Amino acid sequence: MTPARLLALASAITIPFFTASAKDDAPPLVLKPIKFVEYDLENGLHVILHENHASPVVSTYVLYHVGSKNERPDRTGFAHFFEHLMFEGSDNIPPKTIDKYISGAGGNLNASTSFDQTDYFFNVPANQLKLALWIESERMMHSKIDQTGVETQRQVVKEEKRRGVDNQPYGTLFENLAGLVFKGTPYEWVPIGAFQYIDQATIEEFRDFYKTYYMPNNATLSIAGDFDLEKTKQLVADYFGTIPKGPAVQRPQIDWKLDVPGASKDVEKENTPLPASLHAWRAATETDPDSYPLEMLGNILSTGRSSRLYKRLVEKEQVALQVEAFPFLLEKAGMLGVYVIGQKGVPLETLDTLIDEEVEKVKTEGVTEDEFQKALNNQEAEFASSFGAMSSRAKNLARYHVFFGDTNLINTELDRYRAVKREDLQRVAKKYFTKEGRNVLRYPVPAAPAAPESK
Amino acid sequence: MRLILSLAIATTCLAAPLHAAIDRAKKPDPDPAPAAAFPDFKTVTLKNGLKVFVIEDDRKPTLSLRLLFKGGSTLDGAKVGVSGFAAGLLNRGTATRDAATFAQECDFIGMKLEAAAGGDALSVGAGGLTKYTAKILELFADAVLHPAFPADQLSKEQKKALSQLAAEKQQPTSLLDKLQGKVIYGDHPYGAYSTPENVTAITRDDLVAFHKTYFAPNNATLAIVGDVKAGDIVPLLEKALAGWQPHDVVMPILPEIAPLKGITVHLVDRPGSVQSNIGITETGPARNSPDSAELNVVNATLGGGFSGRLFQNLREKHGWTYGAYSAFGMNKFGGSFEASAETRNEVTIPAIKETLAEMKRLRDEPVPDAELELQRQYNIGNYLLSLENASRNAQRVQDIDLYGLAPDYYKRYAKRMEAVTPSIAQQLAQQYISVENVAICVVGEAKEIKAELEKIGKVIVYDTDLKPVAAGK
Repeated sequence: MTPARLLALASAITIPFFTASAKDDAPPLVLKPIKFVEYDLENGLHVILHENHASPVVSTYVLYHVGSKNERPDRTGFAHFFEHLMFEGSDNIPPKTIDKYISGAGGNLNASTSFDQTDYFFNVPANQLKLALWIESERMMHSKIDQTGVETQRQVVKEEKRRGVDNQPYGTLFENLAGLVFKGTPYEWVPIGAFQYIDQATIEEFRDFYKTYYMPNNATLSIAGDFDLEKTKQLVADYFGTIPKGPAVQRPQIDWKLDVPGASKDVEKENTPLPASLHAWRAATETDPDSYPLEMLGNILSTGRSSRLYKRLVEKEQVALQVEAFPFLLEKAGMLGVYVIGQKGVPLETLDTLIDEEVEKVKTEGVTEDEFQKALNNQEAEFASSFGAMSSRAKNLARYHVFFGDTNLINTELDRYRAVKREDLQRVAKKYFTKEGRNVLRYPVPAAPAAPESK
Repeated sequence: MRLILSLAIATTCLAAPLHAAIDRAKKPDPDPAPAAAFPDFKTVTLKNGLKVFVIEDDRKPTLSLRLLFKGGSTLDGAKVGVSGFAAGLLNRGTATRDAATFAQECDFIGMKLEAAAGGDALSVGAGGLTKYTAKILELFADAVLHPAFPADQLSKEQKKALSQLAAEKQQPTSLLDKLQGKVIYGDHPYGAYSTPENVTAITRDDLVAFHKTYFAPNNATLAIVGDVKAGDIVPLLEKALAGWQPHDVVMPILPEIAPLKGITVHLVDRPGSVQSNIGITETGPARNSPDSAELNVVNATLGGGFSGRLFQNLREKHGWTYGAYSAFGMNKFGGSFEASAETRNEVTIPAIKETLAEMKRLRDEPVPDAELELQRQYNIGNYLLSLENASRNAQRVQDIDLYGLAPDYYKRYAKRMEAVTPSIAQQLAQQYISVENVAICVVGEAKEIKAELEKIGKVIVYDTDLKPVAAGK
């Protein structure tokens, strides 16, 4: 057991234990611990190893602590674009062969970019671990970025944006939302960014970005699956140990304030089929203790057909097709949103009024004991069904390390939900659902064409 | 915490091995390959004839059930969508629990219960924590055996369905799916999709009759996956499902699926589109095709992933699309083959031409040895990786029953893919991937792409209700 885990276990004991209510006499869930070792290489690369022989598979996961919030306002989309370039090759890997090496080894691969991180994963049969480590270490050591690759990927990324944003109903929702709620911070643009900046960026800028952020001291390597621990430590040392350490990474300074007035925006789009309204407030960051009651509040408002918003807007009033209350909490910012897609012909004002009423209700009345217990039970069920696959274990071990500074939260985070008190839910509702801080983003349905639609 | 972490680092460094000499310039050799072994499962037939498969998996303290009724939407008959509504209303109230009570009891223990109708089967899925096993079985059995199909719940679902249909008229992928189904399957139920007229035509009596006719234990299989022992769960099931009696189920006679002939071009005009959703579609084999496993390798070569030819050509060479893939869609009574991509409007026609050229090349030229070896390993390895997922394995066991596959189908699966040589791959491509009998289906902006599409063939234009638009319009 690592000292970090010991510490986490010790702190868990001090948390008041779960008290069962009269209606639920099932014992609290005890999850089988996910065992791991973790350490740093001399170059600063953090390594997490979870040995598990259930299936002959290995997942490797490399998280670079850089995302779109690290971008300049005139270079949005840069981190994501760079993610595409990381498939181009290295000093020792010919262009466009990474996918072929992994596919030919019987594996699969992908990568993603978000506001706070860029991650790369391989899932391979257990006998191909060396290949995965070789490729990841090659692209951490000397990824190759050439003009041809940049030109092709410029086109590909534009198609990715058209597909996900411009050609979809409500596709611009997220960028509009971030623009409202995160205004004035580097979270106000989304990872896909804007077309023009990727065109303007030079190859030197891409190389600088690599040298700044793709350093072992800004990365975490997590491996889960069927391997021998000691041999794997040796392999990691062999492949990654000689990569030079880079300068310390400058993190963006974000002065995250809750008391910022909200704004409203209506987005007129030809392809909006049903009215949609989204109310959003600034909220806590993901490591704030309030994140737990916020998650539970979201659950009570919209998870399942017994949730408040579903019962009111879908069942009783029959004005909504879909409702969701979602905390979206990030490293240095966060939001709490309520989202409704209305039924055909329902005025946006009706949706807005109903959201207001339900928000007001939970602020003034809080939640019932029954709802509170249900939310806890839902967290238990969610934890129990997460982290089954090795890919999910590798990823979440790394995320808990990087963003929470406690890898062992994969085993203990449920206790933090159990420590929440019923009053906390009303407290966070009052704290974050403020009148002044409310942002409203709406997608009206365009006026009907000349020929009236038959009913 | 920081201090303690740094102590951990210091300790590890002392024990850290010296750097061994590795040759970075060379791709490392793999260790001996692990065998792809399909996991063991237990088959038990309940007293009422329900066949139950149990896969014991203790990684998570959960239990999941998947009850699969044969038939699915092929049982709809004149009432298109009735199977979907029957499935959708299973969790909306029973003889002894109204909709709100049922929802509350499920949600309270974090249990999910959802059902849906597919082309060949209607599935009811339920899952939750093993500590609630008794309650999960009780609610599951209540939903399956005693659904009330309350009239008010049906009318709410119908209203939502009408809104949903309005939304689908603006979703390019949904429009393309409907168009392709219509073109490939014609009057066969596989090609049917809901319209406002058939949504409103469904009555409570239809749902009651559907349930009575087809929800028979002898017409279903049940897969159970989780931290349970077959010996423990089966007696509990017998008890929960007591009173459920078998009865004869007569499957309807379905129309033949006529193979597609010639090259046709179909365009759904979706004004405002900045991309064309392209699906080059043709008639394909049924799920019980003797070549189904081998066709994975053939398909992967063309468009199975990042290393497929379509992805390499359309995306990596030309930068026309974010992704380009192909797939066989194999059903019980027939299937389809599709090559797809989403491209910006101005490269729609070149993308279609390159896709057809890649399909033709697969027929005309043997796949080079190294490329085929890559694709064989890709399929075999990813099959092995997928065996980690117990729920997926349970589905495979149910598929063997549903589609009448050989009992050892998945045990031989990897070996069959291993045996695909260049000449076998070419022969299969010639047999199953036509470039002469294809429907070129596109959803996009007609005013920007129709004229160019006309150069491929006469274009049939549809509105977003999938109704053909008169030529002069």
